Amino acid sequence: MTWDFLLGQFAIQFGLWWVIWPAILLGIVVGILPGFSPQNTLIMLLPLTLAVKVEVALAFMIALYCANHLAGGIPAILVKIPGSGGAAATTLDGYPMTQKGQAQQALVLCFTASVFGGLITTLATIALLPWLSQIGLVLRSVEMVVVMLFGLTLIAVIAAKDFLKGLIAGFFGLLIGVIGTDHIYNTPRATFGFLELYDGVPLVPALIGLFAISEALVMLEEKMIVGKEGQAKAVSAQWSGIIDGLRLSVKHWWHIVWTGFVGLFIGIVPGAGASIASFVAYQQSRLWSKHPELYGTGIPEGVIAPESANNGVTSGTLVPTLALGVPGGSTAAVMMIVLQYHGMVMGPRLFSTNPEVAYGVFVSMAVAYIFMIFTILPLARYMSRIVLIETTYLAPIIILVTIVAAFGERQYLFDMGLALVFGVIGYVAHKTNYHVTAILIGIILGPLFEQYLVRALRISQGDASILFSSALGNTLWALLALSLLLPFWRGWQKRKALAAEQFGEE
Amino acid sequence: MNKTPLGADLIIPALALCFAGYFFFSIADLAWEAKANGVLIGAVLVLLIAIQAGRSAVEWVQGRGNLGFGPLFGSRDVLVMRAGMVLLTVAFIVGMPWLGLTLSLFLGMAAGLYLTGVRKRSHLLWVSVTVAASAYLLFIAALNSDFPHGPVENALAALAAWFRAGRP
Repeated sequence: MTWDFLLGQFAIQFGLWWVIWPAILLGIVVGILPGFSPQNTLIMLLPLTLAVKVEVALAFMIALYCANHLAGGIPAILVKIPGSGGAAATTLDGYPMTQKGQAQQALVLCFTASVFGGLITTLATIALLPWLSQIGLVLRSVEMVVVMLFGLTLIAVIAAKDFLKGLIAGFFGLLIGVIGTDHIYNTPRATFGFLELYDGVPLVPALIGLFAISEALVMLEEKMIVGKEGQAKAVSAQWSGIIDGLRLSVKHWWHIVWTGFVGLFIGIVPGAGASIASFVAYQQSRLWSKHPELYGTGIPEGVIAPESANNGVTSGTLVPTLALGVPGGSTAAVMMIVLQYHGMVMGPRLFSTNPEVAYGVFVSMAVAYIFMIFTILPLARYMSRIVLIETTYLAPIIILVTIVAAFGERQYLFDMGLALVFGVIGYVAHKTNYHVTAILIGIILGPLFEQYLVRALRISQGDASILFSSALGNTLWALLALSLLLPFWRGWQKRKALAAEQFGEE
Repeated sequence: MNKTPLGADLIIPALALCFAGYFFFSIADLAWEAKANGVLIGAVLVLLIAIQAGRSAVEWVQGRGNLGFGPLFGSRDVLVMRAGMVLLTVAFIVGMPWLGLTLSLFLGMAAGLYLTGVRKRSHLLWVSVTVAASAYLLFIAALNSDFPHGPVENALAALAAWFRAGRP
């Protein structure tokens, strides 16, 4: 790969602006709606992508995919309703920022973290593709068990305010996540006799119910979702709010970079995805922060970490797809179908036979991110005014539109009912301080954790020592132990310092 | 002193306990690979619930809590709105296979807005029409998804076919 080749690819992709821009707009619209993931949007648009040239189809699919990942954070910040599982962690600090009258800044942080997190990791992928493609082979089920545990430790973090209630919520979610057929014999477990639950509890109805419907039922108590100060700020939203958001993004540039790489590395592992990446990034961000106690109160780092990781995943999922022929995720699988229809054979040979496609995918992604920042950034000022809509209008719109969106993923009416059930559970959990995010983390990570754990134990014929059998796995275990012990050590240090201070005063 | 509403606090644990019981019952005869993870999670969950129940019992005995539901249901007006929205959503889901996406969404929106207190007829009409039309354009016209078709979708499809065939 020469510089001439690379610059030529960038020139070609910039020339496809006429397809990238509509794809970005469509990606944003469907990304805002929980339920319409990029893969089912692309599946519905397959006739279009199969009919056009491969470069055009790729540019369209990539732009839609990246915009979709970015847009999930918008409703998460404005109305505490994540557009996708990858944006669920964004609600933890994004919505409190909105309540404090900083919706515009939170949106700008979300956009810049998504775009620059995505852009930097895409450029890194172009530079390090042969090396990165090996990661998917190195991270096996043993190592992935530990990665999942990194995400699950966030339950304990969320549970900090009422540890017992948080843990009950998290383990309740984990048990709900075990519903469905098992990974070895395909025997159904706790499906209540519903065939629709044989594949497990679908994420989208759970997400919609726990966040959107429960939040809409709660918001009926107030006339507006933000206080008077927040309303005044939204009414007088100026361009200065965007500049302030950009200032915060520049201030936390390193945070965007490293959490983006968390997303990239997790994205490379087939089966792992944006949801895991964003929760792990949030947990790691809080762990290494100088002020972990402020997480959850509406701080920039709490928005940056999940959003940057969420978009770092976009290039990561395509690495095993192109380099190994193993789709890194469901959207990558749809893209693979389109590429194969156009005669491309996935795998290492693609880089010698069709380098313009192999590298073109990532160049297209970089170009899409560049276009995206100019498209979305000016909209932050106007989007932030959604908080001025009265809840008498907002609540029915949220409930009925998201119930419709619950149908989107699998096209079952059953999923709409399931979303309502989760909505009622989420409402009770919300009102009694059982954190809904802890339930959701359990539902998302539970099945994956089980899948990797059972696979590892199956390989070792039931010998649990396999979990400590690899150097990388053991390093990850050590890091996990460090992650769990560090907050206690810090607390002890703080108490010691406080005691010394008091002793000095006396 | 405000007493903790223990009745409300125990709803989620009670629900989780019932589910855990059903889960254990449903996996009783399965191979160890199929139930190992669930048994581990379920056992920890039951233990946590037992601790929470014990904590609540202590609060109740000490008079720091009561068995009421506190602010769970809110004021009567809000409760009517909430229960109404839940029932409306059930009706919306049940009615959609017959009415189709567009008409059921239009009627559901209008009823939902009325329920939450919107009385201006123009607002009821325009918000409902806008939401229903947007859903039609995105899900049916643009994405061609498998939402149930009703009178509106069928009429618009017939109209489109008539246009494509060439008007007389």
